[in-house]
Amino acid sequence: MGHKLNVNGDAVEVDVSGDTPLLWVLRDHLGLTGTKYGCGGGYCGACTVHVDGTATRSCQLPVSTLPGRTIRTIETLEERHPVLVKTWIDNNVPQCGYCQSGQLMSASALLDGNPKPTDADIDAAMAGNICRCGTYVRVRAAIHQAAGKSPTGGTE
Amino acid sequence: MMNAIANLSPAFSRRRFLGVSGVLVLGASLPVQRALGKTSAPTTFEPNLWLAMDGDGTVRATVHRSEMGQGIRTALAQVIADELEADWSRVEVVQAQGDVKYGDQNTDGSRSITQNYDRLRAAGATARLMLRQAAAKHWGVGVDTVSAENHEVVHAASGRRLGYGEVVAEAARLPVPGNAPLKKETEHRYIGKPVTHVDAGDIARGKGTFGADFSLPNMATAVVVRCPWLGGGVKSITNRPTDEPGLVAIETLDAAPSAGPLFTPLGGVAVVAEDTWTAVRIARGLDIEWTGSPNQTFDSDELQQSLRDAVAKPGTAVPGSEKGDVDAVFAAGGTELSATYETPFLSHAPMEPPVAVADVSDGGCVVHAPLQDPQSARPLIAAQAGTTPDQVEVTPTLLGGAFGRKSKPDFALEAVELSKRLKRPVRVQWLREDDIRHDYLHASSAQHHRAVIDGEGKPKAWLQRTAFPSITTVFAAQAEAPAPWELEMGFSNLPYTVENQRMESAGIRPGVRVGWLRSVCNIFHAFSANVFADEMATAVGRDPIEHRLALIPESGKLKQPGQPAPPGHELDFARLRHVIQRVRELSEWDKPRPDGVGLGFAVHHSFRSYVATVLEATMDNGRPSVSNAYVVLDCGTYVNPDTCVAQMEGAVVFGLSLSLYGDIAMREGAVVQSNFHDYPMLRIAEAPATKVELVPAQGRLPAGVGEPGVPPVAPALSNALFAASGTRHRVLPIRA
Repeated sequence: MGHKLNVNGDAVEVDVSGDTPLLWVLRDHLGLTGTKYGCGGGYCGACTVHVDGTATRSCQLPVSTLPGRTIRTIETLEERHPVLVKTWIDNNVPQCGYCQSGQLMSASALLDGNPKPTDADIDAAMAGNICRCGTYVRVRAAIHQAAGKSPTGGTE
Repeated sequence: MMNAIANLSPAFSRRRFLGVSGVLVLGASLPVQRALGKTSAPTTFEPNLWLAMDGDGTVRATVHRSEMGQGIRTALAQVIADELEADWSRVEVVQAQGDVKYGDQNTDGSRSITQNYDRLRAAGATARLMLRQAAAKHWGVGVDTVSAENHEVVHAASGRRLGYGEVVAEAARLPVPGNAPLKKETEHRYIGKPVTHVDAGDIARGKGTFGADFSLPNMATAVVVRCPWLGGGVKSITNRPTDEPGLVAIETLDAAPSAGPLFTPLGGVAVVAEDTWTAVRIARGLDIEWTGSPNQTFDSDELQQSLRDAVAKPGTAVPGSEKGDVDAVFAAGGTELSATYETPFLSHAPMEPPVAVADVSDGGCVVHAPLQDPQSARPLIAAQAGTTPDQVEVTPTLLGGAFGRKSKPDFALEAVELSKRLKRPVRVQWLREDDIRHDYLHASSAQHHRAVIDGEGKPKAWLQRTAFPSITTVFAAQAEAPAPWELEMGFSNLPYTVENQRMESAGIRPGVRVGWLRSVCNIFHAFSANVFADEMATAVGRDPIEHRLALIPESGKLKQPGQPAPPGHELDFARLRHVIQRVRELSEWDKPRPDGVGLGFAVHHSFRSYVATVLEATMDNGRPSVSNAYVVLDCGTYVNPDTCVAQMEGAVVFGLSLSLYGDIAMREGAVVQSNFHDYPMLRIAEAPATKVELVPAQGRLPAGVGEPGVPPVAPALSNALFAASGTRHRVLPIRA
């Protein structure tokens, strides 16, 4: 049956079974492959997207629960968070890069709600995102650097 | 093969084209005037395998090693671009397919820079010389009067200059010279400089193409249910579904052998569907009965007991390792120390589980997959597809982590087999549970150390034994003993001065596939040797760093048993001492810490590099907690210092994950763990602040960077916890 979704500002309809996790709808049916599969159990955060502005594990969200909710993915993050994305690149944060979409979606949701996070705030907000390459010190540095600037440039 | 390609969409053909190197036609011999004009001439200058330049000046640098986070696509391109004197913003990186023409393509052993630094410099320098020659010919001046500066050729005397692209056509007609002059080290503009990774922008925008992100028209996705024990096959499927929407096929794959060689797929039941979730859902519901195998009773606790038993008795002496008379010193008595160390099996668990896309059609085969060695995969893929290697195209995608797992192409062979049977492109997607349960595991181990020490903690006699399931067991059914190259990973090549010494080893056949994991046997050998050295120092109340320096000669090179190291890569005692002395400064080792805070030190030489590490740790509510890490790396000449720093930062995290959590157990042949809830990784709150110092290159040979940061971490943690709490941890992982 068809499921109507709002993804990155577009109204879309996908014909899949209702138990299909949002992760696979994004990847297999909408061609949005920036969101990654890492564990399928909500442990690693590679599949993190924003649902109504909240960082959410898309592997745990059946598509049937999503009508009327606003979904945003890594593919449009730069439109709202150009400073964060640029800081990420300038700090050479990614190593293999596979977890980084999820890291960025969690980091941007943190900054949306808390423009000047402390180390403890970062630990709490980023706790769900595993990086096997171990980029954590740069993730932390990049969030601190991006914090305090307006998301679209300039200093607050 | 051409038919296979012709059937694909234009989008795919373009991607494929961009992914191919060496197919572009060399020098189309257009008149130089046309190239010099504003019209874009379709001429390409391609003096060697490694670079091509178009008439618009765009450089395509071919990288033949796989990117898995170590920054190799950037580093190798830096080397080429530097000697080419290219403008970095005009360099594109092209990923090479697997092809013997490149020489060794195995991204493994931290040697991509070591092996390729000289020849890629030569490749860039050759092109630079030819561009100068072309300009000299065009201007009618001597080549010595033409210089190359940032993508331009310049005749200083007349003030004339041309962009590289404008002399491409002329350069393409010149014979390729040998022995083009290389730049001096002081002239390097990219080598030795921190360059942002070429893929960082794509990755931060969700655009990087990893294995699962590559797709082909009409592609199906397969999830494979594999037998819990190695060597078991499908006996029956008791609830084979039929009419499920989206189901394409259920295919039975042949079982792997129960013993080496173990490079073929494990076999099992493949659920092939139109989309991933349909395949996952159906695969999870299957009820499969498996055939038996000798590995069905394999138990990791029993293996661990065998390893403990093995190091409690004499093993096979390492040829050439014996010095003096260990037994006589032990018989004479004195202050004796002995300890046994143990480490468990580990799974690689790269964030991207194994995945591969294959398209077998019209006698050929195309594979896109995160492979560390696309070249060695090529003939295996050809055999699986029923064709010849020249009909196979293997292109590495970005690797979402690998750590050694993706040096084996078994997952790609599964995709090839299914595509061959179903006559359409197939992606095989391993689930995380598949990855943890069916890995080529890092071997468990035990070491026993025994020494008689003098009043300064120096060993008068030192006996060390190691036992572990050898990686050679995946190559041959009869293999058992550790190979010399496994023992040379931190066991037989200990750098300490000991008058009476013996080294013994033993191997045990495991009931699982054993493989390479980032830094391999160095993990357990560095752990046991560094902790035992710390035990010698603390037994006499001596500062561990002072003590360690006293064990290492001031100068000279290590004469290791067995094969000597290649010239320039021998273990140099002065360099080893230097990283120790630097980490002492960097960590403010001699500054007192509060009660309950401990500093732990370890040093290790591996992959031709020297790494000294100090960790600052406490026991926090019964759990180890690491606040700071200090790392000094001497890797000789380095290409990208920021990458070197990042690799050390990452190695600390990787090393702490295995120190605190890494533990794979097997019961009745099956891996007990399955996902990150029971095989945890370090998370951000546990990652220490990390300071890294890189020893200046000083014209030394380039050495490894990806792996050598890992081995010192676990022993530094154990030693720090002893300093913090007085409890000695000799078993990994350290739980409390």
